[in-house]
Amino acid sequence: MTTIKEKAQDFVRVDRRDGKLALAHIYVAFIALFIGGLCGLLQVLVRSGQFTLPWGIGYYQVLTIHGVLLGLILTTYFILGFQIAAISRTSGTLTDKQRLVGWIGFWVMTAGTVAASIMVLLNEASVLYTFYAPLQAHWIFYVGMALVVVGSWIVAIAQIMKYVEWRKANPGQPSPLLSFMVIVNLAMWIICSLGVAVEVVFQLIPWSLGWVDKVDVLLSRTLFWYFGHPLVYFWLLPAYMVWYVIIPKIIGGKIFSDALARLSFMLFLLFSIPVGFHHQLTEPGIDSFWKFLQVVLTMMVVIPSLLTAFSMFATFELRGRQLGGRGLFGWFKKLPWNDARFTVPFIGMAAFIPAGAGGIINASHQMNALIHNTIWVTGHFHLTLATTVVLTFFGAAYWLIPHLTGRVLTKQMNKLAIIQAIVWAFGMSIMSGAMHVVGLMGAPRRSDFSTYGGAQQATEWIPYQIAQAVGGTILFIGIILVLYIVANLLWFAPKGETEFPVGEVSENAEKTPMWLENWKIWLTICIALILFAYTVPVFEMIQNAPPGSKGYKFW
Amino acid sequence: MSKKKEKDSDLKGTLYSVGFVGAFILVTWFLAFYLFIDRF
Repeated sequence: MTTIKEKAQDFVRVDRRDGKLALAHIYVAFIALFIGGLCGLLQVLVRSGQFTLPWGIGYYQVLTIHGVLLGLILTTYFILGFQIAAISRTSGTLTDKQRLVGWIGFWVMTAGTVAASIMVLLNEASVLYTFYAPLQAHWIFYVGMALVVVGSWIVAIAQIMKYVEWRKANPGQPSPLLSFMVIVNLAMWIICSLGVAVEVVFQLIPWSLGWVDKVDVLLSRTLFWYFGHPLVYFWLLPAYMVWYVIIPKIIGGKIFSDALARLSFMLFLLFSIPVGFHHQLTEPGIDSFWKFLQVVLTMMVVIPSLLTAFSMFATFELRGRQLGGRGLFGWFKKLPWNDARFTVPFIGMAAFIPAGAGGIINASHQMNALIHNTIWVTGHFHLTLATTVVLTFFGAAYWLIPHLTGRVLTKQMNKLAIIQAIVWAFGMSIMSGAMHVVGLMGAPRRSDFSTYGGAQQATEWIPYQIAQAVGGTILFIGIILVLYIVANLLWFAPKGETEFPVGEVSENAEKTPMWLENWKIWLTICIALILFAYTVPVFEMIQNAPPGSKGYKFW
Repeated sequence: MSKKKEKDSDLKGTLYSVGFVGAFILVTWFLAFYLFIDRF
């Protein structure tokens, strides 16, 4: 039964001024979705071999726009916008000073985004979203990317300031779960993005400006992947926030365990960072022992992932049984399948089962040779990021945007949102499925269409590349649908009150122990693991540095 | 604990579901492993 306290909490509204800051981020995110998605469509069409880009536009230019806008800009903006709203909702309205810091960060990020985008559009930076040296972009691109990172730190500081204020005002109490999760994600983000900041500021900017002739490619890639893997978790943890905290409320259930959720987030903090070598398993110049060590640490992430799976299933089963579901799986049918706020993220959760299985294969040291640099990897992260994370974000947008704009999701829009997710899942199954299969047949990622001189093997890839184009086209229809719904929620939906759902912890759950929020313990372990995994190999890399490389522009 | 409460906290479906996820991971991993052994 809903208590009066719970009822009062249901109507807690994010302050309008905080909402404006959150919405500013969300606007940029959806603009990035449109442009980046359009470039994705162009890519799959080119790779089918049936389409040539007009007006001298390059394939790698389009690929860079797609990767940067969707992998870095859409995600970072949506996440920071969502987190601002989440902090404001659960820890209280930001102070004027905190909000000002948030706006400064937003504009620094946006200045960086615009600068980097202009360089890519001018074909001065077709270096893909990983911007691997020795491919060399215009220095303004690197400065732009550095500003995006620095701006995100500033927005993060605004959120951390609120959390610190809450902790001071409520000594000895665990912070609101959603706020706690936001801070774990930000701690991970700040620690990991230091790596890419060092790469960009100390290696790539001086090199692209001509201050130094050569760059240490091995070190630059290592610094990138020190950032690149936790980046994946920076995308994923906000999706987990929705799953752990928001979904239980939407389905009318309870959070299975506050302590389990916190433990799982802290384990993600520990095991997301010291694992970048699993992206470099074929990299010469890193001793096999250190690769093995980081593979072991990577596999540790299975623990919090399965804790999450268990917690979600338990929440669903308890609620489904409460609603009269019987037998082993009768509870499943009782879940609110006609509510887009649940169904859309649920499809994302389901996609995480094959996505996670693929991830374990990728990270299995020698077995990585099976899929390394093949389009299997592209298929993999289109399941993790472009299905699991993105569908969860869409599902969240369907209550977050109307909550912030003072509107409501109509029945028609709710229905369209479910159709959108089905379209998305269908298109992605075709596209990502084809990528997985043809990747195992050796088709490379990151490459323009080619018949490779009429080679037999490359001819066998073509039907799968056409399948990718079919799937990609269906996905683009999915993008148009979601943009239609978002535009409706921003400007046209009927005025009204929409709840920002925040789940309550089950009355059967154990009390949360305070050590789960002892940052001294967790940050110490986190930094110790990073030092353990990286100190010796990075020292060896610098000590026995390979010859530096001059910059190349192949486009 | 009352009988009703015991029934409420029946998590058998969860056990099987998580078991399915684990089994799916193992099966796909061994399929990839077999392919790896076959090729390298």
